Amino acid sequence: MSTDTKFHIHHDAPGVVGRRERLGVRLLIVADAAFVFGMVFTWFYLRNLNVGTDHNNWTPEGAKVLSAATGWMTTIPLIVAAIAHRFAMRSGKAFGNIAIITLLALVYGLYAQWNQMATAGLTDHETHAFQGSYASTWTLIAAANLFHYILGAFIALGLVIRARRADVNPVLESWRMKTAASWFTWIAVSGIICAITISIVN
Amino acid sequence: MTTLDHHTKSARPVPNPQKSLITKLNMGTGLIVGIIFAYVTYKLVRGSNPDWEPTQDINNHNQALIASMLMWSVGFLVGIGAFIGPWRWMIGKDLTAEEQLYLAGDGQGIKRYFKYCTDHKVVGIQYLWGVIAMLAVGGTLAMMIRTNLAMPGAKLVTPSIYNSLVGLHGITMIVAMIVVATGPFGNYIMPIMIGARDMAFPRLNALSWWVLFTAIPVLCSAWFLGGIPTGWTAYAPLSVQAGPGMNAFLCTIIIFAVSTAVAGANITATVVGMRTKGMTWNRVPIFVIGATISVALAVPAFPTFMLSMIQTAMDRTFQTGFFDANAGGSGWLYAHLFWIMGHPEVYVILLPGVAALMEIVPVFVRRPLFSYTSAVVGFAGIAGLSVLVWAHHMYMSGWMPMLNGPFMVTTEMISVPTGLIFLVILGTMWNGRPWMKLPMLGVFAFLWNMLIGGITGLYLSDVPADNYLHGSMYVTAHFHYTLMGAALTGAVAGLAYWYPKMTGRMLNERAGYISFWLIQIGFNVLFLGMFIVGAEGQPRRVADYAQEYGTANMVSTIGAYSIGLGFIILLWAVVHSWRHGKIAPMNPWGAKTLEWTVPYPVPLENFDELPVITSDPYGYGKAAH
Repeated sequence: MSTDTKFHIHHDAPGVVGRRERLGVRLLIVADAAFVFGMVFTWFYLRNLNVGTDHNNWTPEGAKVLSAATGWMTTIPLIVAAIAHRFAMRSGKAFGNIAIITLLALVYGLYAQWNQMATAGLTDHETHAFQGSYASTWTLIAAANLFHYILGAFIALGLVIRARRADVNPVLESWRMKTAASWFTWIAVSGIICAITISIVN
Repeated sequence: MTTLDHHTKSARPVPNPQKSLITKLNMGTGLIVGIIFAYVTYKLVRGSNPDWEPTQDINNHNQALIASMLMWSVGFLVGIGAFIGPWRWMIGKDLTAEEQLYLAGDGQGIKRYFKYCTDHKVVGIQYLWGVIAMLAVGGTLAMMIRTNLAMPGAKLVTPSIYNSLVGLHGITMIVAMIVVATGPFGNYIMPIMIGARDMAFPRLNALSWWVLFTAIPVLCSAWFLGGIPTGWTAYAPLSVQAGPGMNAFLCTIIIFAVSTAVAGANITATVVGMRTKGMTWNRVPIFVIGATISVALAVPAFPTFMLSMIQTAMDRTFQTGFFDANAGGSGWLYAHLFWIMGHPEVYVILLPGVAALMEIVPVFVRRPLFSYTSAVVGFAGIAGLSVLVWAHHMYMSGWMPMLNGPFMVTTEMISVPTGLIFLVILGTMWNGRPWMKLPMLGVFAFLWNMLIGGITGLYLSDVPADNYLHGSMYVTAHFHYTLMGAALTGAVAGLAYWYPKMTGRMLNERAGYISFWLIQIGFNVLFLGMFIVGAEGQPRRVADYAQEYGTANMVSTIGAYSIGLGFIILLWAVVHSWRHGKIAPMNPWGAKTLEWTVPYPVPLENFDELPVITSDPYGYGKAAH
């Protein structure tokens, strides 16, 4: 056995294990990216099916259309979190302190996304049905963003707690920070893609 | 495959499971917590109105059902201990080596099969029995379908029940077939084949199985909620309007997609990152290549399937309008998202079965695999093209007729890499004298069935011919020839081949032969007859048919009963041989891949010392380097 069993049962060196974990996360990112692609496809497919004023069920008359800034408002925390995490990784022993910025950005974004969904007002007051396919697709994308925030906050919280513990394997931990960076970067990229998408309303 | 001594022998920690929560959790606690989660969620979502009636508030009823089904899955996973690892990671108290060893099932005997066990061999056996159970349920439904179709006007079941039979049979078989080879063999055999001690992510490995497990009762619940009237394709808006049983279908797919993504990432990372020293890419056993390409294809494909189900669920519960034209939606959107997954999924099913057969051929012909590179190119070509053909399922839907031609071309191009696969198998067998054991019979059956399945597929890929054949029994016969005749035959041959390694005993040969011939003859009788009535115009998914198709349908039903009998005998052989079969030698087939170098029972970490590979795995007739 090449590593100390106090930390882990793995036979491989922490660097090997770390690289493998990062590969696994990147493969899961591929799956998530396919989901995001599907949402973007849905947006543009339905938007382009509903052309002309006679059959515009994308944003039917009287339906609420949100500001193009809504997507960006909930993407900025993702970008801040991804950048803060990169800074934290370079900061060595101060990782735990800077990582709190990542965590706070994600928690704030989580709240902002939830609040945005709760107050969007995209449904009909009487029937509670969503008004047009714009409203439907916007909600879907927002919900997916919320899921990204929840997962991101969980990872960020874990990293902050672990940074304060002495009994984690430092080498493997540094790889886990890199692995987390892949996820944080991806959810920021995904947020940007979704923000651009929902900015193109009409 | 030659092995050399090399890595340092591992010093395993002394098993000393703590009396912690981990030791107390099992399938039973999972069931209890899952049921509690589901019940509480249902009550919470439904609200406290005592006058509430599900039929009067359909959206809320759907919300309650979907939420409770998903929370059943989450609750079960909580109850069996799936989240202990992530929780302990988050609070910075990683599982100790002893706890990980306990999770691996060390020294727990049969109990480990009912726990959140991380040993890939245990997960492989769990998958095997899960697949057998699903095939048994799906097969029983198939027998009910065929019994109803035995005579015109039989009316053993009502048309709506018939629709549900077809839908449940379809989705049960699709789920079972997706994991039929990669589940048992990809988990049990593959890590040993590449000289690894375990999968890259053992806890994710257990998660993939138990998540799939939670989908099974959800799917079964569809029957008690009014069934699935839509067929397995669940086209919208029909699926949006369907009764509460549809919720079970949606949740099954959502849960299953999570399992598939996790398993796909895990298997791919294992093969990429854990091959033993010397196992360069051109020395990787072909089964590993086929299975890996298959799951790597599933990773991006299934999320779109999941998305289409989430959108359907949103339409049913929150009155969104993804598939409702009046609300700006489109049924075509569903068809796109479904078939962007749906066609690659055919190859996710097919490739591992075919790869298992390719593993078998060199062993039983004692010749090197003919043109290994062509085999890899064939698999990669099929996987690459499979994502460019989805709209051939939509020729008759009216969507973009101008694109029918390009999709016809891409579809027909798939026959090129498929032809390579055929050539590799035939080239390996050429001038050889096959050792006609049960696994090898599967190769011949595959060649026959896949030839028919492939050629009939060419007609369906052709737009004018599809115009006539679409929606007929011809289509049903075609895809059964590829999925059952080729992929399931490959998986059964794989079971016969690896059974000695997985159980330590030989599969009852006589019963195996009898079941083989009953299944293969019955299969061809059933589906060749179906081609005839389909070409003559009998529609699929219809409970009754015109008098003129009576004879052919009766013959098909006789074939179906032959298949059913064959599988019952095979099941008996599997169960009986597990306890009473002849003790298997370590390498009964004289194969050269690594799994045959380890004893049975396979040690917890497979190898005391990891092997070093110095030659290719199919060097039959060559001196070892």
